[in-house]
Amino acid sequence: MSALQLLVGVVLPFVAVLVFVVGMAYRFRVWFKTPQPAKMTLTPAPKGSLAGAVLAETMFFPSLFKGDRVLWLFSWFFHVTLALIALGHIRVVTGLADAILISMGMTAENVDQMSSISGGAAGIVILATGALLLARRFVVARVREISGTGDFLALLLLLTIIFTGNMMRFGAEHFDLGQTRAWVHSLLTLSPTVPANGTFLVHALLAQLLFIYIPFSKILHFGGIFFTQALVKRS
Amino acid sequence: MTKSTNTEKVIAAVSAIDQGPKVLKTYMETCVKCGTCAEVCPVYYGKPEQRFNPAWRSDLVRSIYRKYNTTVGKVFGGLAGARAPDDNEAEKWADYFYECTGCRRCAVYCPFGIDNSVITRKGRAVVDTLGFTPPTMQKVIEVSLKTGNTDGATPQAFKASIDFLEEEMRDEHGVDIKIPVDVVGAEYFYVPPSGDVMVNPEATTGVAKVFHVLGMQDKWTMSSHYFDGANYGLFTGNDAHMKADNKPYVEEAKRLGCKVMLMGECGHAYRIMKRMMEAGKWWGDLPFKIMNCMEFTAEKIQQGKLQFDKSKNPQPVTYHDPCNFGRSCDIIEEPRVILQASCTDFREMTPNRGENWCCGGGAGLSAMDSIKEFRMSVSGKKKVEQIRATGAQYVAAACSNCKRQLTQLSEYHKTGVAVGGVHDMLSRAILINGKAAERKDFTG
Repeated sequence: MSALQLLVGVVLPFVAVLVFVVGMAYRFRVWFKTPQPAKMTLTPAPKGSLAGAVLAETMFFPSLFKGDRVLWLFSWFFHVTLALIALGHIRVVTGLADAILISMGMTAENVDQMSSISGGAAGIVILATGALLLARRFVVARVREISGTGDFLALLLLLTIIFTGNMMRFGAEHFDLGQTRAWVHSLLTLSPTVPANGTFLVHALLAQLLFIYIPFSKILHFGGIFFTQALVKRS
Repeated sequence: MTKSTNTEKVIAAVSAIDQGPKVLKTYMETCVKCGTCAEVCPVYYGKPEQRFNPAWRSDLVRSIYRKYNTTVGKVFGGLAGARAPDDNEAEKWADYFYECTGCRRCAVYCPFGIDNSVITRKGRAVVDTLGFTPPTMQKVIEVSLKTGNTDGATPQAFKASIDFLEEEMRDEHGVDIKIPVDVVGAEYFYVPPSGDVMVNPEATTGVAKVFHVLGMQDKWTMSSHYFDGANYGLFTGNDAHMKADNKPYVEEAKRLGCKVMLMGECGHAYRIMKRMMEAGKWWGDLPFKIMNCMEFTAEKIQQGKLQFDKSKNPQPVTYHDPCNFGRSCDIIEEPRVILQASCTDFREMTPNRGENWCCGGGAGLSAMDSIKEFRMSVSGKKKVEQIRATGAQYVAAACSNCKRQLTQLSEYHKTGVAVGGVHDMLSRAILINGKAAERKDFTG
């Protein structure tokens, strides 16, 4: 086993999961416990339930839609595709999704085909929208003048992960679901067998670094939004 | 005071954000720098420069927070957007943070609902701690804490004003319309901004006429000591001052034994009473309710208890939603009910309600003559365009600060638009014994 395989396939998975889970749990706990005596609701307050209003914000970005439609277009497609890709990665770790789809009448070939088409399309959309978000940081003055290293780093890291992911779909070193599932399974039984695919190793390395980075970075916003939106939406 | 102790004070004040409030704490860690706040900010609209970009201004605080309160900031410093404060950080902040009108419009459009006014107020609190609060603001605070009102008026001066207003109303209607003062046991305790007694008193005569028509002239009172809800502690970020300024009003309400504290046409005063003092239980549970005079009057109009001669207000009238009423207190439809009942030609400006643009004088800026040029040509630029587009000749605003800013904008840009309150229009059109006020022509 190479050093990279050892790092990416054996050490980092445990470190990344630990740092991510503990880091996020700590953030949530602090955010939850910090006192808020004054009422900060923005009026007119949403008519339905608070949970509904906050959920709507996290799913459809209606406030942003009112404020900046171009950014809404880029960022909504970026985030939705990211969520779909995260879902798609269930197939990478377990054959369970395949089994369910097959039990519903699809053939194994159909499942692979569907995955190729939707996964391939998602990979292109997210690369394009991510690149547009990056370009925006250089081109639009009001964004450029507030962008810092962390803003570029987060996007570049994500884009590199996306790019290596796409390489495994469209390039020479195609991913091998059998190997990745065996790897994940081997981690759970603490007897690691790590794929040797170089692109895969780089992709997995960066993805795990991302998970370690999240609790300390601006990507925290995916958790913060539930708190910040609830503060201004509760009636 | 040496530079280093000043720097230490800045660091200590910023580090204290970890203790809350939750809005501030979460805003330190959630902004993604998308620039949407700048797109919807009245100041940045007036002059699109980095200095006026809300996220950049908020980052003045955030970057110091990162340096001392976060792991990445401590380890990676500037790479993580962290920095130590300059020797004269607070002096610079005294300029920067008094260039935000605290209107909360950014929070409406921010995908996270981040309210930059909260960070502005924190920035100003730091400025205040180090003694760099702009002199105008500092003076208003001192006067208010000493006398109970921001004009420094004595109870005698107040009573003289009230006598004058009662005389005016007698001239207008030929009957005695009372403004009761210091009546223990009155049901309603009316707390306007002092401007609505001293400077633009028509709002107060409007309220008096409403009580008169309802036959409730004995059921309300004002206080000769506490007749000014304005509270500049909100604007300087000094919580101790804000509470010290607020407490005598609550005690006066208890002393008078009122059932309702009826707040006047002053957005920030109502917001402090309702959303901060009452919600935060500063003085425990209260033996009285807090409501706004516009809620009171609108309800009576909808019940058909008040009649008007709309022809007394023939000119096109528009309503400017003050930020603290429209975006922070949900007093939105009530002023419209009053204006539509008392004016012939009511027009909406666009956008309006919770999305209205700030007058450009919010968060106390309106009182600062030192930045008048900025208020006229930068922060108020959008407002002038918005009012012009309505074709209105009178803009009603339920806020003394908005009224000052809007009046100055009207003069500076020579728009010829008259500015006043909401109950002002009611006062001119309400029927008493079947007749509206006989007065000079207001339309000019």
